[in-house]
Amino acid sequence: MAQSTTKNNSAFFAVIALMVFMAIGPVLLMLVNSFKLDVDIISGTSGLLFLPTIQNYETALCDVLWYEPEHLDFCSVKFGGAFVNSLIIALVSTTLTLVIGSMAAYALVRFRFMGRDTVSMTTLMVRMVPPAVLLVPVFGLWNNEFCLDKEGFLGGMIREAFGGRGDVCLAGTHSGIILIYVAMNLPFVIWILQSFIVQVPRSLEEAARVDGAGPFGVFFRIVLPLIKPGLAAAAIFTFRIAWNEYLLASALSDRNTKTVPILIVNNMSEFNVEWGVIMATGMLLAIPPIIFTLFASRQIITGMTAGAVKG
Amino acid sequence: MTHSPDINDPEILKPPARKRSWQQKMNRLSPYMFMVPAVVIMAIALIYPLGYMIWGSFRDWNPSQSIGEAEFVGLKNYITLWGDPNFRESLGVTLRFAFIVVGVEMILGVGLALLLDRDIRGMSVLRTMFILPMMIAPVVVGLMWRYMYHPTVGTFNRTLESMGLPKVDWLGDHALLSVIIADIWQWTPFIFILSLAALQSLPRSALEAARIDGATAWQQIWFIKLPLMLPVLIVTCLLRLIDAFKVLEVILVLTQGGPGLSTEILALRISRTATEFRELGVAAAMSNYLLILLLIFTLGMFAFTRWQEIRASRVRAAAEDAS
Amino acid sequence: MFRTLKSAVLATALMAGTAIANPYADFEGTTLVVNFPAHPHYDAVMKILPEFTKETGIEVEVDQLPYLKMRERQTLELAQDEGEYDLIAYVVFSKADYVYADQLENLAKYVMNPKLTDPNYDADDLIDGYVYNIGFAGGNKGYLAGKTGSLFGIPYGSETSILGYRKDIFEKHGLAVPETYDEMLALACKIPELEPGMGGLSSRAASGHHAAHAFLLHLAPLGGRVFDDSWNPIVNNEAGVAAANALKTIVDCGPEGAKNFGFGEALGAFLNGDTAMFLDTTVVAGQIDNPDKSKVVGKVGWALHPMGTRRGSQTGGFGIGIPSNAENKDAAYLLMQWLTSKKGDKLVALAGGNPSRFSTHADADVNAKFPHMATFGEALQYADPDWRPIIPVWGKINADLGTTLSKVLTEDLDVKEALDGVAERAKGVMDEAGYYTWQ
Repeated sequence: MAQSTTKNNSAFFAVIALMVFMAIGPVLLMLVNSFKLDVDIISGTSGLLFLPTIQNYETALCDVLWYEPEHLDFCSVKFGGAFVNSLIIALVSTTLTLVIGSMAAYALVRFRFMGRDTVSMTTLMVRMVPPAVLLVPVFGLWNNEFCLDKEGFLGGMIREAFGGRGDVCLAGTHSGIILIYVAMNLPFVIWILQSFIVQVPRSLEEAARVDGAGPFGVFFRIVLPLIKPGLAAAAIFTFRIAWNEYLLASALSDRNTKTVPILIVNNMSEFNVEWGVIMATGMLLAIPPIIFTLFASRQIITGMTAGAVKG
Repeated sequence: MTHSPDINDPEILKPPARKRSWQQKMNRLSPYMFMVPAVVIMAIALIYPLGYMIWGSFRDWNPSQSIGEAEFVGLKNYITLWGDPNFRESLGVTLRFAFIVVGVEMILGVGLALLLDRDIRGMSVLRTMFILPMMIAPVVVGLMWRYMYHPTVGTFNRTLESMGLPKVDWLGDHALLSVIIADIWQWTPFIFILSLAALQSLPRSALEAARIDGATAWQQIWFIKLPLMLPVLIVTCLLRLIDAFKVLEVILVLTQGGPGLSTEILALRISRTATEFRELGVAAAMSNYLLILLLIFTLGMFAFTRWQEIRASRVRAAAEDAS
Repeated sequence: MFRTLKSAVLATALMAGTAIANPYADFEGTTLVVNFPAHPHYDAVMKILPEFTKETGIEVEVDQLPYLKMRERQTLELAQDEGEYDLIAYVVFSKADYVYADQLENLAKYVMNPKLTDPNYDADDLIDGYVYNIGFAGGNKGYLAGKTGSLFGIPYGSETSILGYRKDIFEKHGLAVPETYDEMLALACKIPELEPGMGGLSSRAASGHHAAHAFLLHLAPLGGRVFDDSWNPIVNNEAGVAAANALKTIVDCGPEGAKNFGFGEALGAFLNGDTAMFLDTTVVAGQIDNPDKSKVVGKVGWALHPMGTRRGSQTGGFGIGIPSNAENKDAAYLLMQWLTSKKGDKLVALAGGNPSRFSTHADADVNAKFPHMATFGEALQYADPDWRPIIPVWGKINADLGTTLSKVLTEDLDVKEALDGVAERAKGVMDEAGYYTWQ
């Protein structure tokens, strides 16, 4: 009996060890390779015996380094700029989605009003729309329809302030990408936050209202603090999508608003796959999500389960 | 009718009449004020584009035209697509990819959850590691696997070679399989974690009873655990299925849809039709086909949850009757 | 003594002269936004651009993109009323699209402008095949040289095909460098037997553009064409089948994973020493001699693209042109002229780019640094501007050809049947585009 338990146990731990290895192996491999020269990666007789170099990171980050790396003739990757774009787009769109989404979720849970069922049904339905389906219309609209005439008052002001040429269109701006990300993430956020808001005791809200708080006061001062775990979970999922998305960003961004995933795909150029540099950029892109995972895994799991269980 | 009832609660100290009517108006309006931003954004950036796309799908439209300049061609795009063997093949690849991926992930994820359903120290650390693959950008997942699958310098072929086994042409002869493996790697943990959560929230009493009755481990799994987990599993499965139709970046980076059309899923074909072949009308029609397909799955999911709610309330009613 | 003094005076006078009459003076401080592909030639261009800025005071901001991506971007930019880019590099097959949609400037008015055009530019020195293939439009068939055409761009980063082979392997087994297709195909399959683990010839073959490109590469020398003179698709004739079979043989006897090789992988295999031959563009020469990237430095010899029923190497690559909606057209023209001038061409060649001029191919300094330049120059004599049709609907036919060929390679489709399908679909596309209106 005792023997069979130990045998069971060792098999159990073997399975776990294997799973851990499979889950993080590829990531570690990428990390290791990002410190290798291309020659080492390609010839790579042994996995661990090599001279680590930060050359790949220097190449990737050449536009933000304070010195000029010796091995570069010119700076082609420009990771720094793309990283800033990614950061702006992901942070702004996450914040907006959360504020707007939690307000909508609150309304759907706490109020009965005309059109409520339509809204809630539509929200559920549009969750399934894949980004690829949005590609064609968003490309057309953002480039041709959602524009301000450059002769017009507002358009003229924008051209005056920011320079550039042609009519002022959503395409090629941070706002354009942020708008579609907010719209894409809203249904999910509304859906997931509803299950958290339902759990907020009504008595608290009523007490606040007796104290003379208006509906917005109740919402921002009472409800939001109480659903912090839900907000955290929703924030991580929204950030993840905005940070990682490639397809729509690549259709909407121009040379100044490229995000990091675009940079990576562009650098898988067919003439010359520079594995080291690509692995380094991939690693840099993966760092924020990895940090989130390490520090907020509980919220992620809460979010996932809340999402699935509620159906 | 449209405001929350507690305003008329007599115990609330009645404010002066003018202020009260203002407040009432506020209260009647407040749900709309909460909803407006979300509704406006979704209308502008989701609903209107979808309508625009349906409109565009009846046109012969290329990227350098605005939609008004494009010629109206009726159902031509839909009909051409229906007869296009490439589109059909791509549809087949999409379905095959989605079902295989979800099937294998369900079996692996649920299996592992059943296997590892014990109280062990450090489970939270383990879970953290398992979520890692899901959080990393699909583009990066694609490039990691592209490296590992590389015919000569890749990890797999090097390993095979060092063990004296023949090399495998991962992204050539076995492209679909390779793409499927990468997706399974990324998403099995999702199902694993959800099933584990479902398992751990099962009523202990049922399991206790079964154990006292002398049920074997297999019987417990088969007759108690799986049936009790089923609702969560079905929802998870449908969620994954819908997500599997959204996969694009990993395949784009790994194979770009090749060789031939063997990994060209619909999402990829839409984006190629729009950008490479420059036929926005056809791409829009293709998007609509994909949307219809997904609509069927989503409706299936709704129907299922609704049915489940009804059944649950009936069970509850029956229980109340009995007591 | 007197002579040196005289020449010194002359030199000073000349320098003073240029200092006073600086044709760039009006444009000093302008910033040009240019769109270049991520491509070895343009990587070399990036190295010489600071020189241009130093000399002229015109700043250049480069947006470098992978070339298919670049084409997408340009499609969008050029359709606007006012565009972002002042100068673009375009892929040769975009020529038809852009010129047809009136999106590229006709260069005549710039060449006529005495303030802009350098009298010593020597346009006759530009390689004819490249100019007619890449820069010229409106001639015979719309895309070839002819009396009705004119110039819309200048070839830059253009290329032709050439055969690279491993001198060490060929010497070791006493092999002769293949002169004809039969010899080459026989060798391609013989090498894996002689050198286990090594592929014969590495070629691109991945689904889409790559497979189509590889097929067309063999089609011209084997005597085939995509269309006959009245635009009927003839890819499925004997020559077409032979070309597809050649491609199949090459891929089957090629290195590990060859069926899914894009250009990068094909080149990578050759750089890594996995294959003995490489038949593709001339742009790779720079990388093959770069020890950071290549394990075959100094082991590679170059020969002409083998002959089938005729000689016909590809012409392709990029040209540079000025978009009609550009902001700084004159300054863009100056940059274009500087880049393709004798001096600029030599600079870029020395930096590892592909020269567009005969004189650069013959230049002593360039040849001293890159001994293969002479062979490349010879190959250019056989460059075939009609190896691939450059018409607006080509993109669609090309995509279909590419996916179908990839199926032939991976799924063992019957070659003739597959090509019949391509021809039939191509005919439909051509009909719809109105190519049979006059028949």
